Amino acid sequence: MSDATPTPALEVRGLTKLFGGVRAVDDCSFVALSGQVTGLIGPNGAGKSTAIDLISGFKLPDAGTVTFKGAPIQGLPPHRISRMGLIRTFQSPREWGGLSVLENVIMARADLGRETFRRGVWGLALAQRATSARELIRAREILGEFGLHDLRNERAGNLSGGQKRLVEFARIRMAEPQLVILDEPMGGVNPVLGERMAVAIEGFIAAGTSVIVVEHNLPFVERVTDHVVVMAQGSVIAAGSFHSLRSNQAVIDAYLGEMVPK
Amino acid sequence: MSAYFISILTEGAIFGIMALGLNVIWGWSGDFDLAYYGYVAVGAYMTLLLTIGPPTAPAHYILGLQLPYPLAVVIAVITAMAVGLVVGLIALRHLRGIYFSIVTLGAVYVIYVVAGQYVPLVDGYNGLSGLFDPMGDWFGLDYQSYQYFLMGLCLVMFALVFILMWRISGSRFGMALRTLREDERAAAAFGRDIYRLKLKGYVLGAALAGFAGALFAAYLSAFNPSAWSPVGEVIALYAAVLVGGRGNIRGVVLGVLIMGLLVQESTRFLSMLPGVGQFNTQHPQILLALRGALIGLVLVLFLRFRPQGLLPERRFVDRQPVGEAAPAST
Repeated sequence: MSDATPTPALEVRGLTKLFGGVRAVDDCSFVALSGQVTGLIGPNGAGKSTAIDLISGFKLPDAGTVTFKGAPIQGLPPHRISRMGLIRTFQSPREWGGLSVLENVIMARADLGRETFRRGVWGLALAQRATSARELIRAREILGEFGLHDLRNERAGNLSGGQKRLVEFARIRMAEPQLVILDEPMGGVNPVLGERMAVAIEGFIAAGTSVIVVEHNLPFVERVTDHVVVMAQGSVIAAGSFHSLRSNQAVIDAYLGEMVPK
Repeated sequence: MSAYFISILTEGAIFGIMALGLNVIWGWSGDFDLAYYGYVAVGAYMTLLLTIGPPTAPAHYILGLQLPYPLAVVIAVITAMAVGLVVGLIALRHLRGIYFSIVTLGAVYVIYVVAGQYVPLVDGYNGLSGLFDPMGDWFGLDYQSYQYFLMGLCLVMFALVFILMWRISGSRFGMALRTLREDERAAAAFGRDIYRLKLKGYVLGAALAGFAGALFAAYLSAFNPSAWSPVGEVIALYAAVLVGGRGNIRGVVLGVLIMGLLVQESTRFLSMLPGVGQFNTQHPQILLALRGALIGLVLVLFLRFRPQGLLPERRFVDRQPVGEAAPAST
């Protein structure tokens, strides 16, 4: 393994999904490198969200391959993909509203050996109950990092939209996946919180979690990464550094000039 | 102790087990299951089929094996779980919310119609009877002392089920079920096999329903289509879980107590309402109708003003003082 060529965290080849006659994702191919942030951008209707659903197993692709950790994962159910270490978020925060913030973070780590009926009934030691001491300490630590410590016993459904985003990030820290796909993390988030999220994304990388971030907010993408994949009409039309894409005519055409950073 | 109190406590324990099972499916997994009382019926029918003697003309039913009651209970519970598994495999695959409820409603009607109309199975409308004082002669109990014995048995079983549910409630398994109720897409994104997990919860609920049905069969010593309806009983169970506190096992027990007393006592005080007393002598159905209306009213009032119930679901509370907060962002 050489430093010059970082290994791909995720490799997508020819991914295709049809909804009736609409080719929502059409022969989409890209690579996300390990240990890096990859921005996935494109105008509305470019097929970004569908591509994420296909990669994470929430929708079945009609064609194409997705390779994660050297193994094909296309067509696997979402929980299998998640257990392999690929976790995705959703456009709107999907907190477990009736659980506390702390419970949300603790349950982000699917400890399947302990989640059985039998262990639930017979597990006498504290370590087999809902929370083990180690998990509790780790969850508190993470909540402290995200400034959610004082809210930890609050019902997660009562938090503001921005706080729910932070809970989502905290859950990912707890789960420690190899790759996380963030679906529009900046949706409905104010700029101050945005900076906090940018720092959190750097934290993911430092903790060994590669990141794909799907985002409309281009300044935010530019803040967190220089490696961008551009989608339009279901396909990848360009990939490279932000800088090189500014002068790419296909990218400018795709956005009709409206949002291209100057 | 009067016969009245014995019957109240025995029934209360049985309905308590039913409500705790429903709480697994609706309170934790979050599925509004209408087939639930069908599993109670399966448990009750199966217990009778296994404990009573073979049919004598003109009765028709299968089995009639005269097995010991405890063995019959075990098989009845397994049967209820198997029926629950079949319904769950179909209904939980893709359906949620009202669509799930409609399919389970269909399932309970299938159980009801097959039991009531397909005579060779459980003698149709006549149903099954003849389970007199199971285990009574093991201990040489007469009729009077047997009532105490059965009450004690039901209360002990209820206590065991309560402890079991209390263990589950605080376990990772119980928490995982709740993540399904709160947001199952997020649960899948964080590694939960939602279909499998929901099925586990559903079959656990069906097991408790079947168990309650097996105890109910011993209490009634008979079971037939006029002893239950596909929807009526399950709505009363939902009312109990809702009033007490969905997801909170202590709340569920409180709800059974409150709704049980309401059902038992309402016929007494409703007849004291002006006009109802005289009317009742000509139309005895009026009290039952008023009782149904009263249960519905309680249900509506709780849904409107206290949907979380009297004892809301408990969350794990971390009492570490704020002063010892973890260090801020690095």
